[in-house]
Amino acid sequence: MPLLTEALKAWIGREVVYPAREDLGRAGIRYFALAIGDDNPLHIDDDYAREAGHPSLVAPPTFIVETCQYAHRQPDEHGYIGHVWHLPIKGCRMIRAGNDYEFFRPVLPTDRVSVTWTLEDMAERESSRGGTQLFVSSVARYYDAAGDLLAVNRETLVYQPLAARA
Amino acid sequence: MITSTKSAASLQPGDALPAAEKTFTAVELVMYGAATWDWHRLHYDPDYADAMQLPGPVVDGQVYGAMFAKQALDWLGPKAFVRRLVFRMRSMAFAGDTLRLEGEVIELRDGRSFDVVVLNQRLTNNGRRVAEATTEVRLPR
Repeated sequence: MPLLTEALKAWIGREVVYPAREDLGRAGIRYFALAIGDDNPLHIDDDYAREAGHPSLVAPPTFIVETCQYAHRQPDEHGYIGHVWHLPIKGCRMIRAGNDYEFFRPVLPTDRVSVTWTLEDMAERESSRGGTQLFVSSVARYYDAAGDLLAVNRETLVYQPLAARA
Repeated sequence: MITSTKSAASLQPGDALPAAEKTFTAVELVMYGAATWDWHRLHYDPDYADAMQLPGPVVDGQVYGAMFAKQALDWLGPKAFVRRLVFRMRSMAFAGDTLRLEGEVIELRDGRSFDVVVLNQRLTNNGRRVAEATTEVRLPR
């Protein structure tokens, strides 16, 4: 039975917009820097960041493409609140294949970020484990309050069929 | 005084970035999940991981992007800007694993208002490739 059904193909091209909710904030940036073990003063010290040419402290580069702060809902059955398509795929586990990030300027604590997710493509390919797996490619675009692009995140996730358990 | 930022003229292909190691204990996994508003059970719930036929909670692959960017900026300096970061997953890592981060310069390009250095970076777990990245960083002229 193919993973990539006609019903699934109909999802290609779908788009979801997550409006900006609040400033990213200094606390969120410091929390992220602590969590990734990044002690660079650029992320906590305004004076240091200004010396480096920024208007204030800046977020670590990948902060906006890694945080689910744009979301506002209760966790799903997996505990997740970030963007998901809720594709009708059963009996699979989902893993990350990779990401392609582009950044257009440093992100500031005062930035109010809106996010648009688009489902770009799906492809079923042979798996080295035998059988096939489904690759789902999405792109997230992150905009500031003026509507200027801050970052683009092209993400590929893989759905792998689970083995039957006795 | 801020630390200095490397110039493209001071770099050449093959230059190695300082290697680093990081262990992802349950605390690191929860810190990262919380700080990114990502409460997915895959990253802290052993029962959930077992149901997904995995040996334990999985290190969130997104954190590798942060590690690659941090290694690049720590080495290149505070005026460097990560323009593009492309990373590919090669295998999963699990709670308790220690990952080794390495990288080197592969290319230098002249720009009009800035130079670009391209890095190859990789994460390994006891020699097994976990993820690899190609990272483009702008340097002031």
